[in-house]
Amino acid sequence: MIDALIISLQLALTTTLLLLVIALPLAYVLAFKSFRGRTVLEVFVALPLVLPPTVLGYYVLLMIAPDSWLGSAWASVFDTSLAFSFSGMVLASLLYSLPFAVQPMQQAFRAVPESWLELGKTRGMSIKPMLRHIILPASKGGVLVAAALSFAHTMGEFGVVLMVGGSIPGETKVASIALFELVEMQQQEAAQLALILLAVSFIMLSVVYSINRKPLVVGS
Amino acid sequence: MNHIRITTTLGSLDLDVQADFAHEVIVISGENGAGKTTLLRCLAGLEACQGQLQIGGDVWLDSAVKFVKPTEQRNIGFVWSDAVLLPWLDAEANIMLGVKDGDAVWFSKVCEALEVSPLLKRKPAMLSTGEAQRISLARAWYIKPSLLLLDEPFSAQAPDIRLRLRQALKDLQQVLDIPVLMVSHDAEDAKVLAQQHWRMREGKLMNSVASTKVFSTDARR
Repeated sequence: MIDALIISLQLALTTTLLLLVIALPLAYVLAFKSFRGRTVLEVFVALPLVLPPTVLGYYVLLMIAPDSWLGSAWASVFDTSLAFSFSGMVLASLLYSLPFAVQPMQQAFRAVPESWLELGKTRGMSIKPMLRHIILPASKGGVLVAAALSFAHTMGEFGVVLMVGGSIPGETKVASIALFELVEMQQQEAAQLALILLAVSFIMLSVVYSINRKPLVVGS
Repeated sequence: MNHIRITTTLGSLDLDVQADFAHEVIVISGENGAGKTTLLRCLAGLEACQGQLQIGGDVWLDSAVKFVKPTEQRNIGFVWSDAVLLPWLDAEANIMLGVKDGDAVWFSKVCEALEVSPLLKRKPAMLSTGEAQRISLARAWYIKPSLLLLDEPFSAQAPDIRLRLRQALKDLQQVLDIPVLMVSHDAEDAKVLAQQHWRMREGKLMNSVASTKVFSTDARR
């Protein structure tokens, strides 16, 4: 049970950190740029919100299968399979939790007052300094919400990680799958695990709601 | 000499401004909605305008050849009618926003001239409207801009400090030798500061000076 919990925490932490990096440019582009294909990108980002996790898991499995482009490239570099591995689960989690990272950031970026962005321009700022000195400090609340939701959502994954990870004990069996397996035979352990997962979700959502009580944008 | 030729429609405003000016203080007055702020925003590149702009020998806008110099490359000091300070930075960091290599001597001079030295460690929430306005002025002056655009910069100041700020602005303009365009409803600002006084109505200068000078393409950078 502890092993599964540790794997879940490792997966959630890795996914959250990587998602913050990946979601930042996506949120910036969706908040401030208009371009052809913008709607397609928005739909792609939001798709995991409505897609059955098993469908996403199926496509990720196809993508990382040993005979796929990505799977064979991974195997030639790391000499191991991406399917049924922790790294494969991270990839699946990144896709599965993407909207939970992008959308709060996008919303916070959009709420940055236009006059602050204009101020940045008059101070000679291009995109990078504008992000560093104005947009990100102004959107701190939105970025924290993105991190908390990504972490909580990844902790609760079931279908995707089961399909992509294969529930290998000590390697890819996460807490939510362990709970499913424990429920019939070891009800006391199942109750403990369920309580821990409930507490993690409760704490993360408490963080989100306490941030949301403050404005997503500083000073607005 | 600096040249403005702007003929553009922005929302319900038909802006049609033609003027030449030297490195001097120009006070712009007119009724609400006359286009004063929009003119400043066009000069700053914050509104998409049609026409031509040449400031300090550089072409900033030439619609004939679809050239627009981005705001971030214009080196503008812009003071909004509200202070627009970033609330998570203290006054000092607001003044130095975006400046990589600070000039401590110049910084002190600007802060003294605007009487903001005792306020530097305060966050904007701890500043009065007048103090915030002076911090915003200091921010615009500190970068030694090529063009200073001021939208009612003294509106929140008490009468005694307003007198001193006018003198400070005069001194600064002489030190930096730059054009200063200032929107003001205060007749005293025009009387004391203005080397040119533009009156605007419905997007037009009522006392504009037209020029036949052609922009030099060599000046385009």
